[in-house]
Amino acid sequence: MAHLRRCLLAPPCGVAGPRRSRRSSAPSIWTILGALPRPGLAQLIFCASVAASLALAADVGNAFAQAGDANAGKAVYEKKCAGCHGQNGDGKGPAAELLVPAPRDFTRGLYKIRTTASKAPSDRDLFKIITDGMPGTSMPSWAVLPDKDRWNLVAYLKTLAPEAFKEAPKKLELPKEVASSEASIKRGKEMFEAIECHKCHGTDGRADGPSRPELKDEWGHPIAPANLTKRWTFRGGPGRTEIATRLAAGVLGTPMPTFIDSVEKPEDIWHLANYLASLGPERPSYATLITVTAVRGDIPDDPNAEFWKKLTPSAIPLMGQIIQDPRNFNPSVDLVAVRAAYNERDVVFHLTWDDPSESKGDGKQTFADAISLQFPPQITASIERPYFLMGDANEGVYLLRWEQGKGVGEATANGPTKIAPIAGGEAGGKAVYDHGQYRLVMRRPLAATGEARPTFRPVVFTPVAIQAWDGGAGETGTRMSLTSWYYLRLEEPQSNRRFVIPPVVAILTLAAMVLVVRAANRVR
Amino acid sequence: MRKVATAGSVAALVIGAAMWWAASVDAQGGGTIEADVKYNGAPKVEKLKVNKDTEKCGTETTIEHVVVGSNKGLANAVVSVPDAKGATKAKGAIDQHGCRFVPHVVVMQPGEIEIKNSDDILHNIHTYSTANPSINKAQPKFKKVMTEKLEKPEFVKVTCDVHSWMLGWVAVVPGLAAATDNNGVAKIENVPAGKHKVEVWHETLGKQEKDVDVKAGQVTKVSFELKGK
Repeated sequence: MAHLRRCLLAPPCGVAGPRRSRRSSAPSIWTILGALPRPGLAQLIFCASVAASLALAADVGNAFAQAGDANAGKAVYEKKCAGCHGQNGDGKGPAAELLVPAPRDFTRGLYKIRTTASKAPSDRDLFKIITDGMPGTSMPSWAVLPDKDRWNLVAYLKTLAPEAFKEAPKKLELPKEVASSEASIKRGKEMFEAIECHKCHGTDGRADGPSRPELKDEWGHPIAPANLTKRWTFRGGPGRTEIATRLAAGVLGTPMPTFIDSVEKPEDIWHLANYLASLGPERPSYATLITVTAVRGDIPDDPNAEFWKKLTPSAIPLMGQIIQDPRNFNPSVDLVAVRAAYNERDVVFHLTWDDPSESKGDGKQTFADAISLQFPPQITASIERPYFLMGDANEGVYLLRWEQGKGVGEATANGPTKIAPIAGGEAGGKAVYDHGQYRLVMRRPLAATGEARPTFRPVVFTPVAIQAWDGGAGETGTRMSLTSWYYLRLEEPQSNRRFVIPPVVAILTLAAMVLVVRAANRVR
Repeated sequence: MRKVATAGSVAALVIGAAMWWAASVDAQGGGTIEADVKYNGAPKVEKLKVNKDTEKCGTETTIEHVVVGSNKGLANAVVSVPDAKGATKAKGAIDQHGCRFVPHVVVMQPGEIEIKNSDDILHNIHTYSTANPSINKAQPKFKKVMTEKLEKPEFVKVTCDVHSWMLGWVAVVPGLAAATDNNGVAKIENVPAGKHKVEVWHETLGKQEKDVDVKAGQVTKVSFELKGK
């Protein structure tokens, strides 16, 4: 109970619970205000479990919607919601201008996530969003609030748009469910192409469709289509039924239309949902350690080479840089998949990340896309590392860096605005851009000379951090997404010795035994 | 030769008179309002390059915010006589053709509207309405016609999110109405004789009202001049 109280009392718990911690695409109000400390990992895990059990309890205890008290809801609203959604519920709270997507304006009664065939969501729909939050946005889970408060909030929200809630919502009847199968996924892909989902969501679903740059919501705010390969960012949840419901009902206030009458057969909604669910995992599994595989022979520079497909990627989450001005509250790159290998000569990194546009930049509104791997200048056994945000005046960092139009290079940095290329660098590599995704190979000799460049050694835990810039979204300089320090480890070198030494030892042992036996026989 | 010409003109006159007579009989005691809508400002037509679906949409397109024709006539304005009832109800119709809404302004009475897609590519019909439920429905290439309801009087903006330049309007008006042509002229026929309020509406220039007295069998002229906001 003490733990429970600790969680409930600390606002970041609910905010930075399991969901928030994994997601970096949008900061919560707490991060923005910067007023509250981040929870430690232990607290986080604890809060996660408590939040989960609370959510479970909420589900069991509230099979049916409860009638809330709008007046009581107003009090809760003013304390917890008005910061983003505004005193009057018009979506214009003090934090609103920093948030993408913008907080919802409740005065029109238009809600993105609903399970109804009518315009208004059901009470349960509203309750669920308050309870679970909206993945990929700044809307956190409010499961920390007592059930009653959340039902009261539902009642209050409805009073902000009485017209919209005048009629009782009609439940949306989905077509009969079709289980996922190879045939269903194939049909879903056909339908995906026939109804031209790619116009916004891109051919491979990575939110890079040709209509993407022009999309606006009904309030005129730019709005991004969902990246269909990252289901964990789906606003209304990643499950097949949730996806089918969004397809059938549309997402109100956004460009996403309803498709219930716009597929060839009603069950196509399920085929589509099955196809979309096949595009990516429901949840990402983030890595904690990057392993650099030891190989013999050549490591290809071509990012699309079979060699790289065989290596297991380590998914690393990125956050917006919100320490140094100008800050980046809405980072574009939220995940980089790292593969790495080394041979007797080079260490080679293969990075994959989604970026909706290939940008060289005009230098005014758009800039060159870029990414860098950051290492300490010298790799030692010491636990002291340079400041993770690209070093500082006292201690710099080493960067292995790629920039659109310039290619791969080496640099040192003493802070995000003080990057100096290293003359005569020995780095190389190749990048390809394909349907909303970059794949990049960066290579460098294992050994290096000079104080600014680390030498990579097997088995040593090597600190590494990543920074990425989506220049097409206006990211440059301190406006980036980044990680704090991670570790990578070059695995033990594979050598022929493992094939030679054990047999030699076995033979020697056998010989020794024979000698002993013979000696014994001779004595007798 | 002259005789023939005279005979011809006499015949023309007779035919003309007969037609006029026929028309006035059809009007059943109604008159015609001929509205002349002028705009004393510059046209506002946005030109832009198309970067997708160019085989259907062309490589260039325009957004017609204010179209001014000859003699300062304002096109795409809706002239209506809201209190003139009793007209026949026809379904409204709008087509998505060449990645444009055709016509730019649909005039209809409250009821059903037929939405066509003759482009063979995806459009989504997205309405911005408050009196009527807003619509955002995908219309893929195989869905050639959809029917939607607009049952309350309202001027409804229509967009397509796939092609952000597409802009159209549906004027849902209870009485008789017509949109002005490129010369800024709209004719409303069969208006019952008597005093009426005539309203003009334009998507960016707003509304104006005038009172007219319609006489049976006659054309009543009314002119408006809209000013930039």
